[in-house]
Amino acid sequence: MKLPLLLLTVIAAASFAAPLANAVLGVDPNMVDLLDRLSGPSLAHPLGTDELGRDVLLRLLAGGRVSLMIGIAAALAAAMLGTVIGLAAGYLGGWTDRVLMRGTDAMISLPLLPLLIVLAALDLNKLGLPASLIQSDEISVFRIVALAVLVGWTTAARLVRGAALVTRNRDFVRAARSLGAGVPHILWLHILPNVLGPLTVATTLSVGDVILFESVLSFLGLGVQPPLSSWGSMLSNAQELITAAPRLAVYPGLMIFLTVVACNLLGDALQRRLDPVAARMR
Amino acid sequence: MIRFAAIRLVEILAMLVLMSFVIYALIGLMPGDPIDLMRSADPRMSAADAARLKALYGLDQPLLLRYAGWARQALTGDLGYSRLFAAPVWRALLPRLGNSLLLMGPSFVLAFAIALGLGTAAARQPRSRLDAAVNLFCFAGVSLPTFWLALVLILVFAAGFGWLPASGIATAGAGDIGDRLRHLILPVATLTLVSAASYTRYVRAAMREALAQDHIRTARAKGAGEARVIFHHALRSALVPVTTILALSFGSLVSGALVTETMFAYPGMGKLIFDAVMGNDYNLALAALLLATTVTMVANLAADLAYAWLDPRVSYQ
Amino acid sequence: MRFMNVFREERPARWRSRTIVAWFLACAVITPASPAERETLSIGITQFPATLNPNIDVMAAKSYVLGMTLRPFTIYDAEWKLSCLLCTELPSIANGLAVPVDLPDGKKGIDLTYTIGPDAQWADGVPVTTADVKFTYEVGRNPQSGISNAELYRRISEIDIKDDKTFTLHVDKLTFDYAAIHDFMLLPAHIERDAFAAPAEYRLRTRYNADPTAPGLYNGPYRVTEFVAGSHILLEPNTYWAGPPGRFRRITVRTIENTAALEANLLSGTIDMIAGELGLPLDEGLAFAKRHGEVFQIVYKPGLVYEHVDVNLANPVLADRQVREALILGLDRAAVTQSLFAGRQSVADSFVNPLDAGYTADIPRYGHDPARAAALLDAAGWAKGADGLRRNAQGQKLSFELMTTAGNRSRELVEQVLQSQWRRIGVDIRIKNEPARVLFGDTLPHRRFELAMYAWISSPENVPRSILHSSEIPSAANGFVGQNATGFTSPEMDRLIDALEIELDPGARKKLWAETRRLYATELPSLPLYFRSDVFILPKWLSGVRPTGNQSPTTLWITDWSAQP
Repeated sequence: MKLPLLLLTVIAAASFAAPLANAVLGVDPNMVDLLDRLSGPSLAHPLGTDELGRDVLLRLLAGGRVSLMIGIAAALAAAMLGTVIGLAAGYLGGWTDRVLMRGTDAMISLPLLPLLIVLAALDLNKLGLPASLIQSDEISVFRIVALAVLVGWTTAARLVRGAALVTRNRDFVRAARSLGAGVPHILWLHILPNVLGPLTVATTLSVGDVILFESVLSFLGLGVQPPLSSWGSMLSNAQELITAAPRLAVYPGLMIFLTVVACNLLGDALQRRLDPVAARMR
Repeated sequence: MIRFAAIRLVEILAMLVLMSFVIYALIGLMPGDPIDLMRSADPRMSAADAARLKALYGLDQPLLLRYAGWARQALTGDLGYSRLFAAPVWRALLPRLGNSLLLMGPSFVLAFAIALGLGTAAARQPRSRLDAAVNLFCFAGVSLPTFWLALVLILVFAAGFGWLPASGIATAGAGDIGDRLRHLILPVATLTLVSAASYTRYVRAAMREALAQDHIRTARAKGAGEARVIFHHALRSALVPVTTILALSFGSLVSGALVTETMFAYPGMGKLIFDAVMGNDYNLALAALLLATTVTMVANLAADLAYAWLDPRVSYQ
Repeated sequence: MRFMNVFREERPARWRSRTIVAWFLACAVITPASPAERETLSIGITQFPATLNPNIDVMAAKSYVLGMTLRPFTIYDAEWKLSCLLCTELPSIANGLAVPVDLPDGKKGIDLTYTIGPDAQWADGVPVTTADVKFTYEVGRNPQSGISNAELYRRISEIDIKDDKTFTLHVDKLTFDYAAIHDFMLLPAHIERDAFAAPAEYRLRTRYNADPTAPGLYNGPYRVTEFVAGSHILLEPNTYWAGPPGRFRRITVRTIENTAALEANLLSGTIDMIAGELGLPLDEGLAFAKRHGEVFQIVYKPGLVYEHVDVNLANPVLADRQVREALILGLDRAAVTQSLFAGRQSVADSFVNPLDAGYTADIPRYGHDPARAAALLDAAGWAKGADGLRRNAQGQKLSFELMTTAGNRSRELVEQVLQSQWRRIGVDIRIKNEPARVLFGDTLPHRRFELAMYAWISSPENVPRSILHSSEIPSAANGFVGQNATGFTSPEMDRLIDALEIELDPGARKKLWAETRRLYATELPSLPLYFRSDVFILPKWLSGVRPTGNQSPTTLWITDWSAQP
């Protein structure tokens, strides 16, 4: 438990503290220097420079902020939404189950591509969002999080529903029901702890999935917009430079790898702590 | 159970109708049309030509009318012509479907087999070196983007060693079974590695939980052999979440894998759907997407039926 | 304990990927193909032609493949001269084959007489005759047949058939490029007539889609013998071809859309060359050349793709000419092409390429002059603030949205450089990219942009009517068609465009071109950037490939290509 938490904290802290550090040190991850492109590690640039002469380390940290934000926010939001729907469908059954599950099926089968393009073309002014938000650099980040949640809740929903179906007929739940316990009480105290196993795995896996999803979006041209960087877009840009500067792909790839490791180990540890059966075994 | 399945099939039909409208609308809502792109690429194409072509393809009519026209045709079984291929939809679709099944089928089976093997082995010996190694494999596979893995495999095995072809489904002019299989090796390897890593995580977590259950202890106490414990008792309850994941991935047998197909220039369903959607080819896109939807929904139905069979504690009111 | 195990095993993963990278870098120096294989040629391109019908759908991939299989009547060659391919002689007023006529409505038209080459044959042995001309004209005139470029067919009011090989076109508009009829791509009447029985279904029934390997569809040095949609096209020599034969027994055109994978395919030997017209973007090509330049022939050719930044003149700030001039002066375009493109993309000062007949050097040119840019902005009322950004008297920031096609990495790189260069003169730029179909289908026609960076593709001496004439401004009144997205309105420009189209004397035309370009460079409705270059990556043993720099594909001269050992 300690190691992944430490790892994650270090990465997150470095990334989120970066803007402050940049302001103090007077450096800018977006500063273009055409005379110093694709250079190797040096004292001024510990990890070298990219195709526009920007410092790779600074961009890695700035990109970390974006990727972590997208990954964690989307994973948590999708998990929460999915859990609510899955619990309702699995426990209540009947028509609720039918309607919710058909809705989930529809969502799974929805083609991503036209959805992405329509969302990209959506005129946000019409939605009533403040102008300063729409014009900010971060708006593409919010779009991606929204999309990832829209697309990601289905896995959690199906998993939770499956587990709920199994748990609702178990003796202790029936006992609770006969004792007059209300539905929310049963869901929270009895069903939820038993679905946490697969749910935790799904959520922690999905952090990495979302970060990679963003990378595929960049691959298709629909990811984070320049000059904002993210690990995913750095990876996607690096594939064209694979012969010129392969290390440009290794760094963001490594960061994604470490983040995935940390999140999954965290998930493992959480699963062990929270699983009532395993807890009894200890 | 039969009643349950029958009701679900009716629901699936209803969903297909709804989805056909949603997909049609989504494609229609995308701004622009390939004709506009054609115009920006050719200095000699005039505005009058663009307008004429749009009228020819019926693009100047309102969306609902076009959808109604499509629906009417589809109900009689006529899926129409593909605008992109200028051929009947099924003639454009079937070869690509075949290619995709050849690609996705083996990957799916192999990935599942690897996941079962590795996941179970790791779950049986928690906190061992084997568990750590399996974990590492999973993390590596899950954190590697497909396009990267594909590129590295091409560079190492095709450009580097020269053992395998770098792209395509067959050598031009040739095309026997052996040649086609050789062209399949790298794309299948890419997909298998990535999926297996993800599936293994689920299997491992599910098996760990299953092995910790009371009835396992009981079975062991009663003297059941290890194999029986694993396969008969633990696997059945572990398979519930695993079935969910498998059913969710089943749809990809038909919807293909866009990124892998692009990297290996393998003409499959993923690329077909992408091109059809981007090319505003309503007939082809709808046919392909509705096929994928049907497969996904039927797979989910099968998963639901499987829950009841796998775990006797599950029942449907 | 367990976590330490993981940690220890984690480092091999990093070294493993590093080793793989080192391995393929080492293996990336490959030996060329052995001499025995040089009867075949494998070409890699990034697009697959959806249809091979020459008249339906405009696609660069299709032109590339058809360059080997179908002869157009006329074409602009590598010297940018109009030349005859299928015909025997270019009609001109001098040789009497072109006769201007006065039309009843007071306009001028022209009659052009062409003769089809006497040895021209379709690949099934049927000679190319005027029957094909008449049939193609019928198809082209029919509004339902799905032909993309029908402008030429519309202009031909009548065709007189003299005999099997000679015909006269009666064109109802006299333009200076009257002899160029490369849009008139012949269709084989004896094969396509059945498909045209129901004109509305022609584009669905055309044999080019139903049976692309039918020999009779092609009249060039090669014909298509295998067509696997989305993957590759196989070409073999046309036995009925009367001209100099192609040197290759077999040509494969493979489509690989991902450029990194395309490079990998080239390195692995699956393809022998990457076509410049549809290959790597220049910056990738340069990176490739740096690594593998010794093993391949790398040819760069600047072309007619004019990269520029459209300025929306409806925006009150941008409507001020001083602001536009300041913007262009604030850019160091030479530095951009030098560092990003190794100087291989020439800085443009207008939309006319230096190789074009209409080019003259005497127009206003803008270098990199930030001091003057600052002075202009100050004069226009934009004062520099403490944060380096300029504001006007009302306190509004001098800030624009810059758009380009999302996913195009070269453009995104240039965009970010422009952003940082403009920031130095106090202009704040927000980047907002959109997918190409959104940009071209929605944003530009509705003029919902401030600055938009994209390319105009033209042809030799292409009169800029659609982009600079005031009648071509997309608006609600004309249904948002028209490519004058900047909204440039100038009676003088309109007059020049109208005059250019009908001026037959090359000398007078050159003067008109000079005036047009001078007006454009003075008014700056769009900011010129550079002309995009194509990069051809060819094996050392291939010779005879001559990039043209205009839109004519190099494959039209495939019979000149040969493998020298």
